[in-house]
Amino acid sequence: MRDPFTVLGVDETAGDAEIRRRYLALVRDFPPDRAPDRFREYRAAYEALSDERKRLEATLLRTNEAALSRLTMAALQAASAGSSRATKRTVAALLAEGLLRTATD
Amino acid sequence: MKKPQRRGPSPSVPIDTLAARAAEALQQERFKEAVELFKLVVRQEPRPEWQESLAAAYAGRARILAAKGMFKEAAMVLENTLAPDGTLREPLLYLKCLIREGQQQQKAAAYALQHVSSKRSLPAAEQTALEELVAALLVTNPPRPEPADGAPSERTRWIELSAASRDALAAWISGTSAEEIDRHLNRISLRSPFRPVRLLLKSLTTEPRDAERTRRLLETIDTGSPFFPFRQAVEAVLGERELDADGWNRLSPAQRAFVAETRGLPAEAAQFLARSADAARSGPGSLFAFLLKQSDLPQADVRSACLNLLPEIPDRLPQFEKTFGPLSKAERHRVQALAAEARNDWEAAERSWRATVVAITEAGEDRQAGLSRGVIFRHLAHLAGEHQEIEGDDFLGDPVIFYLERSREADPDHIPTVLELIGHYRTESRDKDWHQVVEDAIQRFPEDSQVLLQATESAIARKAYKKAAGFARRLLKIDPINPGVRRQMIEAQVAHARKQLRSKRADLATKELSGAAEWERSDAPSAVLRIARGLVALQTGQKEQAEAWLREGVDLAGGGVAGWFRAVLEAELMNAATGDAGRLRKELAHARETPPTKAAVMTIVTALGQPEAREAKWAVAGLLLGTQAWLLQAADFDWSPAEFQALAEVLVRFEAFDLLQQYARAGRYRESTNPIWRFHEIVARTGGEADRLSMAETDNLEAMAQAAASRQDFHTANRIRRFVFGNGGAPFGRRRRDSPSAPPDSFDFDDLDTDELLESVMDEMAGRSGDKLRRLVADFGREGAVAHMVKELRSDPLGRRMPEPVLRDVCEAMVATAMEGVRGGQGAAARRVPF
Repeated sequence: MRDPFTVLGVDETAGDAEIRRRYLALVRDFPPDRAPDRFREYRAAYEALSDERKRLEATLLRTNEAALSRLTMAALQAASAGSSRATKRTVAALLAEGLLRTATD
Repeated sequence: MKKPQRRGPSPSVPIDTLAARAAEALQQERFKEAVELFKLVVRQEPRPEWQESLAAAYAGRARILAAKGMFKEAAMVLENTLAPDGTLREPLLYLKCLIREGQQQQKAAAYALQHVSSKRSLPAAEQTALEELVAALLVTNPPRPEPADGAPSERTRWIELSAASRDALAAWISGTSAEEIDRHLNRISLRSPFRPVRLLLKSLTTEPRDAERTRRLLETIDTGSPFFPFRQAVEAVLGERELDADGWNRLSPAQRAFVAETRGLPAEAAQFLARSADAARSGPGSLFAFLLKQSDLPQADVRSACLNLLPEIPDRLPQFEKTFGPLSKAERHRVQALAAEARNDWEAAERSWRATVVAITEAGEDRQAGLSRGVIFRHLAHLAGEHQEIEGDDFLGDPVIFYLERSREADPDHIPTVLELIGHYRTESRDKDWHQVVEDAIQRFPEDSQVLLQATESAIARKAYKKAAGFARRLLKIDPINPGVRRQMIEAQVAHARKQLRSKRADLATKELSGAAEWERSDAPSAVLRIARGLVALQTGQKEQAEAWLREGVDLAGGGVAGWFRAVLEAELMNAATGDAGRLRKELAHARETPPTKAAVMTIVTALGQPEAREAKWAVAGLLLGTQAWLLQAADFDWSPAEFQALAEVLVRFEAFDLLQQYARAGRYRESTNPIWRFHEIVARTGGEADRLSMAETDNLEAMAQAAASRQDFHTANRIRRFVFGNGGAPFGRRRRDSPSAPPDSFDFDDLDTDELLESVMDEMAGRSGDKLRRLVADFGREGAVAHMVKELRSDPLGRRMPEPVLRDVCEAMVATAMEGVRGGQGAAARRVPF
């Protein structure tokens, strides 16, 4: 299982209430009928952090999986909301990826 | 040199024969052969149906080549199926092969246009997929424009739609207004395969007033569509929530670039995201070095990220401490413990985790410290179950139990640890410890149903039936259905009633069974209780009631042989009057006229698995012998290895080796590759005595055990080795320590003199306890270490056999040997962390 803090996008110091709030927000956006795999992953992460001992276990025994997540979030939060345009190269890469994925299916 | 003759049909073979052989090859999917034969056939007579079959053979051959990743070759083979209208058989496969081949997208686009212009249609789903693929190809690879005077055609329609799509995308990229983009989008029909372009750009340019409608529109771009990655990128841009690290990590590089550019990420953030992903791919060292350079980012987060990387790169610890200041003692040991785990150095991991515990304790005692120690000890217990290098301090005991005990001491409120510890005590037959922990647990967790169930079982095992009943009643208040506790209470009281009946106290047995009936739920009647009540009623002369209970019990136990077998077994256990038992045996004999079923045999196996049946071993063996002919009829049923395993255990226990041999042999005929059948055949032949094994059988079993171990089936491997070598045989995989109360079967202490005992103990301890002894000496001094060892060894089967002075001598010699190791430079006591 991936690092539960990363999956839920919460800080290591988050308490019960914050973890629950975050979990509920995620399953509202990705309910089991629409995104069953993501829902399962969120559920497992929530269960892994659902009490103090489990959180402590995740903190004490974790390795590097969560290393970048907070910094990534910080970098992403610096974005302004959808005000710019992508480059021609990026759009071309996105379309090429789509063609290759479809051809691979 | 003579040129080798080409193999193939001779020219004299009649064409119809050739065509029949070609058709057969095609039908059997031998496409290469079919192509060759149909080519010969068509060359002689180009009948349309044979040409069609040749095309089918080419298509089949192409599919096989594509499945092997030979896309260029597959495309070339498909080109042989060119029809007069310029289309190919399997156009979708052809396009996919050209796209995957990598260098042929222009060729793919040209063919795509040719195909859609031909108006040749495919089955609906395939047609839609093809058209979407063609649309994406034409957007990325602009076709040549048609001459201006050309009449409108399907081809010009596709060219116009692809141009509109590209114009709209270019307009959006260049940042033109929404109206201008709309002008281009309006040229794209919503029914055309270019519809996704319209939906995607519309979503990006429309004010986010109706997010739900946008979401629904985007969802119409199917996961199989070539525009799907574009849809995911647009969704990430438009997401109602902030995009988090998890969402970001799910995106492909192209999608990330799209999101970064479209959401207006500052250059340094975008650069960080791109470079950190690259660094992460290069390994933890590169990522660590990259992160250390990030002076603009919040330093607390950078520190945390670097700290989490340290277990994989512990050599960077000094660099980390130089940048962020020294780590706490506990953190440093924790990093070292995780680093040791990462390199599979389990001894070092154990040392470092224990040092972490000491450091946590030294840092101050509070709730958090207790919980942390509990977590670490629990972790060590689980590691000890998997890695034999982790030994704990209890030299001869189970390290899993040792660490679970430490975890419980550190965090006594953690119920799963308590339950796990109870489970281990029970497995190891440490009954005194089991009952003690249960006693403590019930005080601490009086309302926990799992603890109450354990308390009930513990009380039953101690024959404290009133106490057990009290716990069971409390449990049923919390969990009124709990079938487990009801069954246990019934079985406990039935067991008690058996003893009373054996002591000729039918009155007390009746009372006991009436008590047992109170635990029964009306919707889950107990077979064993009905049968027992029937048998006791026979003794007290209540013939009618007895008959009713017996019939009811037999039916509940599965009826027929299974049911009457259960009744006869119960009569044996109760030592019922000869006349009553004889009558039941007659019923059983009558029932045996009906052939067996799997379910009936398994019901008998379950009944024989009960502890009471084990106690009445010879009575059961006789009963089995009487049922042997009936059971033999089921030997060649399609038993699974798991079913057979349960059956074999019972047959071995009651020494029914003839039956075992027949079942095992039939199993081996069915499934020769599974060693479980052959193994039991050998067990049956030797009557369960490893001494009777021939050399060939021993070699055969050893090979089977090795093979089982190499495919990670340690259960089978250990089972075989335990049979061959007794419990003393070195097990495969996970270590299994012998219980102190259960000496190895293959080891007879009475045959040993004191010197041999000494040698055995020294052998047992040699090479694995030196470090522990040195730690003990460091902690308690030499005398203390000897005293500790004497106490430890006294609880061991070997130690129990030794006179006290000898035991003491042994321990002193062990301590001396260990300390000599230190003086000789082998020990590392000074470097080790005392616990």
